[in-house]
Amino acid sequence: MAVGLVLTACGSKNDSGSGGTSTGASGSQAPTSNLKIGLAYDIGGRGDQSFNDSAARGLDKAKSELGFSIKELEATAGETDAQKEDRLRQLAEGGYNPIVAVGFAYATALEKTAKDYPDIKFAIIDSVDPAADNVANLTFAEQEGSYLVGVAAALKTKTNNVGFIGGVNVPLIQKFEVGFTAGVKAVKPDATVQAKYLTQPPDFTGFNDPAKGETAAKGMFDAGADIVYAAAGGSGAGVFKTAKANGKLGIGVDSDQYNLPSLADVKDVILTSMIKEVDVAVYDFITSVKDNKFAKGNKVYDLKAGGIDYATSGGKLDDIKAKIDDYKAKIISGEIKVPSTK
Amino acid sequence: MTVGGLAVGLKSTPTRRGKRLSPMVYLIIAVGALVVVSAVRTLSDATDLTSSGTVQAALTAAVPLAMASLAGLWAERAGVVNIGLEGMMVLGTFGAGYAGYQWGPWAGIVGGLLFGVIGGLLHAVATVTFGVDHIISGVAINLLAPGAALFLSKQFFSNAPGGGQKQSPRIEDAQKVTLPGFSSWLGTIENKHWFFVSDLAGVLRGITTEISLLTLLAVVLIAATGWVLWRTPFGLRLRSCGESPAAAESLGVNVYKYKYYAVIASGGFAGLGGAMLAVSSGQFRDGQTGGRGFIGLAAMIFGNWRPGGLATGAGLFGYTDAMALRGSNAVHALLLLLGIALIVVAVLQYRSGQIVLSGVAAAIGVLFGWWYFSSDQVPAELVGAAPYVVTLLVLGLASQRLRPPRFVGEPYRRGQAI
Repeated sequence: MAVGLVLTACGSKNDSGSGGTSTGASGSQAPTSNLKIGLAYDIGGRGDQSFNDSAARGLDKAKSELGFSIKELEATAGETDAQKEDRLRQLAEGGYNPIVAVGFAYATALEKTAKDYPDIKFAIIDSVDPAADNVANLTFAEQEGSYLVGVAAALKTKTNNVGFIGGVNVPLIQKFEVGFTAGVKAVKPDATVQAKYLTQPPDFTGFNDPAKGETAAKGMFDAGADIVYAAAGGSGAGVFKTAKANGKLGIGVDSDQYNLPSLADVKDVILTSMIKEVDVAVYDFITSVKDNKFAKGNKVYDLKAGGIDYATSGGKLDDIKAKIDDYKAKIISGEIKVPSTK
Repeated sequence: MTVGGLAVGLKSTPTRRGKRLSPMVYLIIAVGALVVVSAVRTLSDATDLTSSGTVQAALTAAVPLAMASLAGLWAERAGVVNIGLEGMMVLGTFGAGYAGYQWGPWAGIVGGLLFGVIGGLLHAVATVTFGVDHIISGVAINLLAPGAALFLSKQFFSNAPGGGQKQSPRIEDAQKVTLPGFSSWLGTIENKHWFFVSDLAGVLRGITTEISLLTLLAVVLIAATGWVLWRTPFGLRLRSCGESPAAAESLGVNVYKYKYYAVIASGGFAGLGGAMLAVSSGQFRDGQTGGRGFIGLAAMIFGNWRPGGLATGAGLFGYTDAMALRGSNAVHALLLLLGIALIVVAVLQYRSGQIVLSGVAAAIGVLFGWWYFSSDQVPAELVGAAPYVVTLLVLGLASQRLRPPRFVGEPYRRGQAI
């Protein structure tokens, strides 16, 4: 499969080279009532039970409710920007419009592609770059949701010591850490927050390595933490596993992980999850293009817009839900400003 | 566990090359290393250097690496370079996921082994029968295996309960055993943080508490490999194919057959490594091997193509990996440890007349010491690189004494003159 993808990607290079901008207009010929939607996934792709799957849900919803035809392409681990660019061009040349690029990794590739296809509407998730007339930047205020689960962790910790595990040390994941730390400190200024990233870019395996998640979480539990927030994609499964083995708690990310079938046997240690509604953003974007209401530029999905939330499944937060909602209301009203960078 | 670098350095004068150090000497080296580590621990207050948690994490991380390097050892001792270890591990993770979630962890181990064997067989057919360049065949397997595993996982796991297109349903973990009565008593001593005694207790507790049966299996397999390859006629013939296949053939050894045995065993061990990784992390996931096959290969080279050496290498990698994941405070202390180790290497090299090497080691050692005392912590960006820095240094300083099998990597055709 990986080989196949590489081959198709290479093939498209020749196509786009010969076609150039002249064929860019072909996308606009498709009437909006009969959209062909293209979607390029980040590493992990459909089936990652996390970020990409959330985007896929939005796409599936658009497909079943609005009857579009869709084309999905997946990324391979360790690929270059040129390969990402080829993938976007392949979709553009195929007449797909709109096109959704899932993940900040596409920023550079999209900047070049969007310029060459001015009539095609693009969306990129999690990145404010590139800024162009035909690009919608769909970003999330992850720090706000992370703040709320930080509040929950601080209210629930018995050891006054909590942990944060990020998959890869990139600015996007640092937003989670900063928000989480701020939330913990808002409730318990003297609490210890341990932070750890599993890998450093350009090594992105940290999102996909449960064994590393397990080791890092065990280290935090050994050092006194009793709740660990895992913003680490698939590696989170290892965090929950070791939490269960040690009688501690974990916090999930991106979707309501308590309800994921693959985590069913560890769900009793999942305190809550920071929910990021990528599916809502994707669906909104597609309908906006369909209704000719495409808006360029950055659209932030935050607590207020309902793109970010925290999960209450499992009932572990029932006793403190009122307090958390209090903080939530204050963030929405603007009384609390959650930092997003260190 | 950090003994490796010193042990390799210690096989000092050329006249003693090939002579084995007695178990007593190894014990003295181990105790000496632990004294140094515990001194560093006391000085830097990084209790994680010798805590039982670190030792446990190091063992868990080391086991798949050790299996991968064993796999490399089997193939290379018979003269076949197996750079396809990573791909064979990936096949092993799938096999473990498929059999493991349905019939339990041990079925998963067997499933992973069988899938690895398929990879090994492919490599054997290409390199032994058809004389394909070993590197090309290996790279092809590395490209093919993840795709095949992903395809199969879409076929078999998409609709399984709790599975997905890129992951298997949960696999039960293998049983863990604890030496009864011993553990809590050692824990008490460990928590006193006495010099040396607590460190020893931490290490002992780490290797006697909550030890997975998979770890024990790995230890048995390493010992068994040593016995089979160095103590049986079969092993002698197999190794002769890696040293001088023409000579072996002239003495009636069926070189092709032995190479087949070796490469198939290699695939089996790599698959086993992947299976152990999948079972201990509770599921198959696309891309979970994350380069462990290549690190296993490096551990084998570090270990001078010998079972004891590769176990030390895998242990060292596992230790630094565990350290990097458990806290940057400990990695900072690792700087000092590394500095001291390098100075020791420098002294030993100087005594055996390697002036230049000794100078280089001393200079880098002093540099690490200076870095330790002039900083409070290692930048997070570099923490993850710790295992690789240690490897590079150890390989760079020890590789003068390494001796690969003489005919490794060369294609051999039947009846060929040397």
